[in-house]
Amino acid sequence: MIALIALAVGVFVGFVLEPTVPTGLQAYLPIAVVAALDAVTGGVRAWLRKEFNDKQFVISFVSNVLVAALIVYLGDKLGVGAQLSTGVVVVLGMRIFANVAAIRQTLFKA
Amino acid sequence: MTDELPPPEGEPTGPGPSGRTWGKAFGADLLARLYETSLEPGYAAATERRRREGPQRPALRRLGKAGTAAMALLFGVLVAVTYRHALAAEPESHRTHDQLVGEVKSQRAQTDRLQRRADRLRQQVSDQRDRALSLGGSDEVARLHALEASDGLVKVRGPGMTVTLSDAPTPKDPVTGKENAENLGRVLDVDIQDVVNELWRDGAEAVAVDGQRLGATSTIRTAGEAILVDFRPVTSPYTITVIGSEQMRDRFTASATAARYEGFVQRYQMGFRMQRSSQLTLAAAADQQLRYAHPVPSGGSASPSASGHGGGR
Repeated sequence: MIALIALAVGVFVGFVLEPTVPTGLQAYLPIAVVAALDAVTGGVRAWLRKEFNDKQFVISFVSNVLVAALIVYLGDKLGVGAQLSTGVVVVLGMRIFANVAAIRQTLFKA
Repeated sequence: MTDELPPPEGEPTGPGPSGRTWGKAFGADLLARLYETSLEPGYAAATERRRREGPQRPALRRLGKAGTAAMALLFGVLVAVTYRHALAAEPESHRTHDQLVGEVKSQRAQTDRLQRRADRLRQQVSDQRDRALSLGGSDEVARLHALEASDGLVKVRGPGMTVTLSDAPTPKDPVTGKENAENLGRVLDVDIQDVVNELWRDGAEAVAVDGQRLGATSTIRTAGEAILVDFRPVTSPYTITVIGSEQMRDRFTASATAARYEGFVQRYQMGFRMQRSSQLTLAAAADQQLRYAHPVPSGGSASPSASGHGGGR
């Protein structure tokens, strides 16, 4: 519940205060969002199974975002940034899909 | 929500006590494994640990809750900021284009609405005037109607013909399959002007292009890629409807202009068709605003004065 309120506040803050992102970091925003979405769906899945753990969630969230951004950064430096970000998005997309499928199974039993 | 799930037996949690390990059979059933196994084995491990060690200390739990809330907040900000950046990255020209298209559409709709209103009001005015004139009991009404019809100010009906001009299909490069930019068979404003002028010359009494009735001060011209008739765009195929006598139709069919466009059909695949009709209805022309010409007071000479700048088309 607190997390949901925090999420709403976050969206509100992002839209209203319009925080500026350093130009160098702007390229990693979409990847960071996809990685964070993976952590969030994983957390929701665990919460539905009564297994949610705050520490686990925080660590998975931060590490997901950082690792995804790092991989893309490395790719950029090596000249395969576009391909690597595609790879990261594919892998994270599959994980998000699997998590959402599990959530669906828990909620609707189907 | 009540947890009705049995303890995770059929769902091995990664490299756990079930003995199944990642890496084995990593090929074809990677996807199946993705769906079967928990992606974050840490959650199950943490639950297991808590079951063994009992509940956490309250301070630690509060800290954890705060951390989760902070992450949720961060996620919200991330989503919002990314969305705003994605919006900003949309090409400026694209947005401007959409905006302009919307503006043109709304303006055109308004023009149509105003035009309809003007037509309705004009109809009312002429009805009132007819009534007033007929009270006087003269044949002024009939004379007025004839004058108005020849001036394009009222809707007219009669026998005539339809001339259709249309662009040739865009030629394609036989090698690359790309569309050739230069299309010699495209209908230009001069083509429509030629046909219309020929029709007037042959004795046409009323002419309309794509439903736009032509009056004494009508213009047909090009603006960029489009052809404008009285500042209203018309598109291919251009339908020129004309009311006139049987002789007019014969003269036009036999004219040099018609022959020339028949040639264009052969040479450039331009579309040119003539079709006779026994009954055509042409709308009234848009009201002609006379800014410099003033009616001569009654009793004055009707002939144009010698010093006048030649009006005409």
